[in-house]
Amino acid sequence: MKIEGQALAMGNNVNTDELHPSRFFSLDDGNVRAGFLQAARNYEKIGSSDISGRIILAGDNFGCGSSRETGARAFLLAGINAIVARSMARIFSRNIRNLGLPAFECPSLPTALEDQTAVRIDLEKWTVELGPERTSYPLRPLDPFWKAVLAAGGLMPFLGFKETSTEQRS
Amino acid sequence: MHKQTLVEKILLKKNGAPVLPESEYFQVPVDLVLGHDATIALLIARFRKMGFKIWDPSRCFFAADHFAPPSTPERADILSQFLIFVKDQSVPQDLLFKGISHQLLVEDQRCRPGMFICGADSHTVMAGALGAFAIGLGSTDILAVLLTGKAILPIPETIRVNFEGRLPNWLYGKDLALEIIRQVGEGGAVDRVFEYHDSQSQLPMDGRLTISNMSVEAGATAGIFVPDKILREYLETRDSSSPSEDGFLLPDRGAQYCQELSICLDKIPPLVALPGGLTRIVPAGDTKGQTVDQVYIGSCAGGRLEDLEITARLLKGRKVAPGVRLVVTPASQKIYAECLANGIFQTLTDSGAMITNSSCGACGGIDKGLIGAKEVCVSTSNRNFRGRMGSPDGLIFLSSPYTAAAAALTGHLGDPRDVFYDSGAAR
Repeated sequence: MKIEGQALAMGNNVNTDELHPSRFFSLDDGNVRAGFLQAARNYEKIGSSDISGRIILAGDNFGCGSSRETGARAFLLAGINAIVARSMARIFSRNIRNLGLPAFECPSLPTALEDQTAVRIDLEKWTVELGPERTSYPLRPLDPFWKAVLAAGGLMPFLGFKETSTEQRS
Repeated sequence: MHKQTLVEKILLKKNGAPVLPESEYFQVPVDLVLGHDATIALLIARFRKMGFKIWDPSRCFFAADHFAPPSTPERADILSQFLIFVKDQSVPQDLLFKGISHQLLVEDQRCRPGMFICGADSHTVMAGALGAFAIGLGSTDILAVLLTGKAILPIPETIRVNFEGRLPNWLYGKDLALEIIRQVGEGGAVDRVFEYHDSQSQLPMDGRLTISNMSVEAGATAGIFVPDKILREYLETRDSSSPSEDGFLLPDRGAQYCQELSICLDKIPPLVALPGGLTRIVPAGDTKGQTVDQVYIGSCAGGRLEDLEITARLLKGRKVAPGVRLVVTPASQKIYAECLANGIFQTLTDSGAMITNSSCGACGGIDKGLIGAKEVCVSTSNRNFRGRMGSPDGLIFLSSPYTAAAAALTGHLGDPRDVFYDSGAAR
């Protein structure tokens, strides 16, 4: 399986308040989407534009800070395809994967990341390929648990819970 | 036999089963689940669609602290949904509107050493100061915990932190937390646990809570203090009885640590985190002359009795610098009541402080003490991220209450020892 898209490149230690400031905390998807990247310096405009299908390329400690899941949900609502970061904060990477969005760590990802470069994640070879020359970088191994969560489309489907019933069970 | 760290000892006692063959992730039974109005509200609609009840409401520790009271109609609606959920699910309601969830947790007899605590908030790690393994999780993880009673996690590696030397009376938990983050880096402890050894039992509990609280700012899964006499005394006072020794687990001699840090208490100056993340931590003296518009004494990292007490002691008989707003938010109603009773509020009010109700307040940019563009805030809270306390173009410096009180008095940052040289012992 392959995930392809254009890069949206971000730096090191990009925190949850920059990715999704708390003033956009809401139960309304429209408000949550509107907050995407709204405190990340120089990313405010791109955050508001149509970026569906893009793949985030980021540096170290991506998503550090808060547990507010609105931050992770905003990636889904913006139509982001996947995240590849040199490293990710623990709660944030869990939130992203729990919602069914693929997120990978790639410790050898270059430090100068180019926006809009072509990105191809190859889940058979477990690599990410960048640019027209398809320079390949290995992804960090993922525990079988997370592979199963991604295959299921998120944590709740992995655990066998379905969001369909409206009746109270005991 | 494998020598165990403190967290290994706690987790192995819980007998979690691997979630899948070959996986390093275990399904571990949870002793307590912390939640609050903001992050629990995010899971209510999905919870209802699944049609189950909470596995054990008596293990839910839910507070209303973010939108308490609400500052917009939308937040009032979110709070209202949370309150209905709490009632519907028979979750105890004794904690609502009593202060910040993390502070309420450590003030409560339900929170004990040796427990495994999950919370729908990153600062849940604060309960590590009580010798519990306490971790923050997002709403979907907490949704799973509420349905199954178990959390899925690996057994983390541990960084041992040794506090050495003598604690000066002007050095606070915040300074030590900043020094630890300075040493390991903002994400230097991701997927790892700090195990704190205060072998001379010098650090007061309020400071320990701040250190455990800020463990997550280095990326750590948890930050746990090895139980000692300071914890025992704290629990004796809190519970009006001798604590059970069950949870007083100790790491094995010879346990494996992935890293060891020495924090030399007598070599650290008062520290300040410069705005925009925790990558630039410098001696407070390096910020000399930086003007300040607001000083915030509050949050789960800096709104405890020790923080308010030192602020009051340093401001007693003095006035906050003209035009500077000093906002004080006690972390809990218990602290609020103590400050009412012992004159701290009178002293602070006389000096020109504005006191707000116990809640998360300005720390998360929620209400009462937000900053505008180009404004500068010195805060005893835990995060100085861009836009966290209001305008993305405002600047947040983090410091101890000692350094913050000096800034309130003079209207600018700097080494507080230059301001309070005549104040004698700070603590």
